[in-house]
Amino acid sequence: MSTNPSTPSEATLQAFADMSAALTGFQSSFIRPFLDPVNLSGTFYSFAVSQVGQPRMDALLAAFNNLNNQNPKPTPQQIADTLLETSLDAPSLQAQLCQSIVAMWYLGSWYTPGVLGGNGFAPPALQVITSQAYTKSLVWNLAQAHPMGFSPFVFGYWSQQPASLQTFGVDTGNGGGQ
Amino acid sequence: MSNGASPQYDVVIVGAGVSGNLIAKQLGLAGKKVLILEAGLPVPDSREEYMNNFYLALAKTPESPYPALAGRTGSQQNPVGVLPDPSKLPTPRATVLSIGKAPDVSYLVQAQPWIETHDPKLPPQNPPPDANGNIRGLQFSSTFERNGGGTSWHWLGTSLRELENDIQLQTKYGHGVDWPITYPELQQLWALAEKEIGVAASTAEQEPLEVVGLVYPTGYQYPMQSIPMSTVDDAVSKGIAGLQVPGTLPDTPGGSDPTMYNVFVTPTPQGRNSEPYDDRRVCAGNTNCIPICPIQAKWDPTVTLGKALDTGNVTVSYQSVAYNVAVDGTNATRIDYYVWSRDANGNLTKVSKSVTGKIYVLAAHAIENAKLLLMSNNWNGIANSSDQVGRNLMDHPLYLSWALAPEPLFGYRGPLATSGIESLRDGEFRKYRSSFRMEIGNEGWNFSKGDPYTTALDYIQGTNNTGTNDGGPNGAPQRLAGVQLAEKLNNILTRQFRIGCMFDQSPMAENRVTLDVTNGKPNNVDGLGLPRPKVEYGLDPYTMEGFRMAAYVCSQVYQKMGAKEFTTTGMGSAGDFTYRGVNYHYYGAGHVVGTHRMGNESGSSVVDASQRSHDVPNLWIVGSGSFPTVCTANPTLTLMALAFKSADSIIAALGS
Amino acid sequence: MKKTITVILLTVVAATMVLMTSIPTTMAPAQSNPAIVLSPNIPGDATFGPLPTNPTNEQKLLAIQGDFDIYSWNTFIALNWPPGPDGNGDPNKKIGQNGDNDTVWEHYRDVADIFLPGGATPSWNGPETVPTQCKAFYKPGMKILSQVGKTPTVLTDFSQPFNTGPLIDQNGNYTRYDILVNKPMFDYILANKLYSKAGQQAFKSEVQFPCGGPTGPEGAIMVKSSWKVISPADRGRFHTQTVLVYNPASQNPKYAASCSTKLMGLVGLHIGHKTDSGAQWLWSTFEHVDNAPSEADIGSNNTLKPKTYNYYNPKCSTKNCPPNQVPPRPWNPTKLSAFHSQIVRMNMFKGNEFAFQSAAARNADALQLLLGVNSKSVWRNYELISTMWPTNTGKCQATPGDPLGTPAPNFLANTTLETYIQGMVPNVSSNCIECHNNATMTNAKASDFTYILQRAQ
Repeated sequence: MSTNPSTPSEATLQAFADMSAALTGFQSSFIRPFLDPVNLSGTFYSFAVSQVGQPRMDALLAAFNNLNNQNPKPTPQQIADTLLETSLDAPSLQAQLCQSIVAMWYLGSWYTPGVLGGNGFAPPALQVITSQAYTKSLVWNLAQAHPMGFSPFVFGYWSQQPASLQTFGVDTGNGGGQ
Repeated sequence: MSNGASPQYDVVIVGAGVSGNLIAKQLGLAGKKVLILEAGLPVPDSREEYMNNFYLALAKTPESPYPALAGRTGSQQNPVGVLPDPSKLPTPRATVLSIGKAPDVSYLVQAQPWIETHDPKLPPQNPPPDANGNIRGLQFSSTFERNGGGTSWHWLGTSLRELENDIQLQTKYGHGVDWPITYPELQQLWALAEKEIGVAASTAEQEPLEVVGLVYPTGYQYPMQSIPMSTVDDAVSKGIAGLQVPGTLPDTPGGSDPTMYNVFVTPTPQGRNSEPYDDRRVCAGNTNCIPICPIQAKWDPTVTLGKALDTGNVTVSYQSVAYNVAVDGTNATRIDYYVWSRDANGNLTKVSKSVTGKIYVLAAHAIENAKLLLMSNNWNGIANSSDQVGRNLMDHPLYLSWALAPEPLFGYRGPLATSGIESLRDGEFRKYRSSFRMEIGNEGWNFSKGDPYTTALDYIQGTNNTGTNDGGPNGAPQRLAGVQLAEKLNNILTRQFRIGCMFDQSPMAENRVTLDVTNGKPNNVDGLGLPRPKVEYGLDPYTMEGFRMAAYVCSQVYQKMGAKEFTTTGMGSAGDFTYRGVNYHYYGAGHVVGTHRMGNESGSSVVDASQRSHDVPNLWIVGSGSFPTVCTANPTLTLMALAFKSADSIIAALGS
Repeated sequence: MKKTITVILLTVVAATMVLMTSIPTTMAPAQSNPAIVLSPNIPGDATFGPLPTNPTNEQKLLAIQGDFDIYSWNTFIALNWPPGPDGNGDPNKKIGQNGDNDTVWEHYRDVADIFLPGGATPSWNGPETVPTQCKAFYKPGMKILSQVGKTPTVLTDFSQPFNTGPLIDQNGNYTRYDILVNKPMFDYILANKLYSKAGQQAFKSEVQFPCGGPTGPEGAIMVKSSWKVISPADRGRFHTQTVLVYNPASQNPKYAASCSTKLMGLVGLHIGHKTDSGAQWLWSTFEHVDNAPSEADIGSNNTLKPKTYNYYNPKCSTKNCPPNQVPPRPWNPTKLSAFHSQIVRMNMFKGNEFAFQSAAARNADALQLLLGVNSKSVWRNYELISTMWPTNTGKCQATPGDPLGTPAPNFLANTTLETYIQGMVPNVSSNCIECHNNATMTNAKASDFTYILQRAQ
């Protein structure tokens, strides 16, 4: 365990990762695998804190942990719908933060919470978080493809049907994930 | 020569792009001493820096890997990052992000877009046509690079040959002008270019296009097997089986072509490796050809530059901006250029130098070539007795349409485009309207809507910027989470595809590049104090009638496939126009041609078929600027083919 | 018990456990601690010790990286062991016992002798191909260290992959490269006729080289070596060979073929090994300790000490000798080059500090063992840079959905072999697995992470 206050603890990072898995619909192993040499969870956690402050992140993780520890345990879909407030007309600040967290995983970039696009255009991103945040971004898995500029596939793959959405990491069984 | 001394080089070439590098290589192999003056920065030792620029770019436009970069921080004010000021750059160039902007952002000085200048009290509208039915004051929307390797760092790789009738548009159809070169000669030259680049295709697969006049010499073999078609290509191909469209729509001005043309898909000859070739890797489908192939499976001009340098007879002087070609009597005698650098504080400094050669070659891109010719001789211009330098500026204006297929067809995979509809490129209708080819994109709605970002954010945030998110109560957008969000995005993204139609735009003398000066003073300069190019551009009814047809054909394709079209136009940005009551939007294809066109008559053309100046016998002006018409194929293959011919003529002119 | 638990986890959780059939999980029983040993036995695969309790991500990575680095050193030692008559390491000898020695891997098959003109059938034991221009130099019985009974190595290749550039030493000599494969790899190529274009065309399956296992024999191994011209005075510091340096004729740049005898020292060694835990192969890379200073060394002015580097001149300023520049073209290896490469080892382990920590610890352990054999062992001058291994993979096959196996560390380069792509840009900076994933046969079909098959004629 690190004693450096700015390095989040294992438990905090795991909670952030589990919450991210629920919010994004991906299996935990795609968010924070058992061995994680890329450590996007750490990068994204720290970046989000740098943007919204530690108290807001702590409050969000506390809300997640409360949900996650309920008995019976809600499904990842229920957790996601609750935190992202999909049934409300106007999402709260915390739900907007969750939207930005989903966007980090899907798109590799930070979008200011609550800033919407318009006139046919997406909202502006503040920045691409890191080059690896882009090359590991997950929206391309939702297309059953790969980030433009980073193909892990071999010649001719584009003439074949891709692997399933589940193979690309989405928790389609909806009962899995932790 | 300026003082009787021998020229320092056999040949001085301005520009290390496709043409410049190819000619340098050929000359170097023939033992000639060559200097290339390249305005921009050197070819980097690896493409790490360029790829990193791309990964971190907020807007992944064609220019995004290459200097000068947009800022990496976005805001409401600068959603794609702060854009550099061309007046402070040594080698500013046209960029996608600067289209429609004022000269403090846009290198090309263009008329301010109509939507920015017309009375805000009036409802949004597009510029009206003039007395000839032409719409003037439109933005020229194609861009280029100024660095070692040049613009074709980010060419797509499409290596189609022109059609027989492309190069005789005037003789066959009474429109435009003919090329001063024969098809058989071009066939020989294309074969050389296809080998240099490494084009992957099969003539057997191209046979169905004999109907539009694409023929190969008997027994011709491409260097490599063809690139497999994508799942998108397959879906389109199967979905449109049997589709036919007429040559012209009813009420086409000038006449009609009621012939029914078959609409079918063929694989595209491409300059990317389908086998290990030339010490480069096989394509891995990074889907990033534009702006940059991470593994150089796609040929780019730095490959040829490497071979030119291998001869030992070629030197490149980087950061060397030519600004004057001195002509003494009839011959060019030297080139003056600035060598620029930045001091320890980042300030731009320049030193003026000169160099002499027996022969001079301008290979700086269609717009920069024109600018250099016009700037030379104290801005009186050279090599321009025809008054055609800078005129007849053309592009392939691009009409983009997009749709959702009924079933997943899995875009975002493979090279950016692997097939097209080429079967409508020729016919009687060319008397009445522009022809076009149709490029099937493999990248979903990336070009069309900035996807997958826009769609993802639509469903995360509950907006409808893409047009698909209207499934909530009363057509409201949905806001989703978790697996439901993931599955919804999967459903949409895997069905996205787009078609881009590229038009054989008419040559028009009033579409032109000039120097942005008034009363002998530049209105806008670059960081070296050189005047900026002013561009005047517009579309004629012939070309716009082509748009009308293309919109119809695309809709027919989508209808036949059972796909739902989502094309929007009239977004209130540069590139909008109205034709016969319908709003359209054009993009630039990056195919800049015409500004120093070739021809047999010195009164109406700038160079001959070898791209040698009619006026200045030791000056060659090369590149797509020499094209008299833009034709129907992407220009890179043909411009390299012409460069082979130019190289031969230069070697002959040098004698032994 | 462990198996049952593993099975339950596999069916219940679509998460971590399905991936880790070879690499230990918290559920695996403690194994005996792997260690670097002086042994001629080539490991068939890495073996794993227990993980710390309640480990952080970093601690897990450090522990497992350590196991792979131990595997790498054991492989290095075994491959560089003096061979017996059957080509295997001689159990009656020790590595470096006489300073330098002939090695097992140098009796592997050179790729030049596998991919023959006309696609001719190669053999494991046949004579090496000696180009015409070299025949004049080779005389039977010529005393060449470590070449007893064997025709000398012919070194030809001088440019780094994809013709990105040569590496030129401080005397203007080009560095040379050589690739050899072991018998299992050779046998697979032979059996499936992958040594010719026609054979590759006719092959209708997927190329799958054999995997080594933790207790079994080794899998396919390919070795790529880099060599520098040295003077006899340098012998004690390098593993050396007297070789024939052959330059085939070139059209562009234009020069005639030539051959000469040279004393060369080993400066770099890549070992690629296909194993159960390395479906994307395990990639170990070693360098001579004098190759180049690191970024950090230069920053702290350590290079002011009079240390001699193989590829760096401490007396030349950064302004006059900007580091890691590709030599200007044309590249003509038949002549001494005026341009000398000035190489610096860049830090490619930012965010992956465990790689650096583990290599340093394992290098210290190995050095002690090697010095224990002979304080003048040439092998004391070699160090492990790191081992790249897939963190997410199945037993001898990729996990669906992760063809690259999420390698650790994220980037890895040998300054003599990937000189000009020492960076941290995905898909471009040196990453063994990412780059080799693009490897194909001559017909563009995937070749299981090796580029050698595209040499087939």
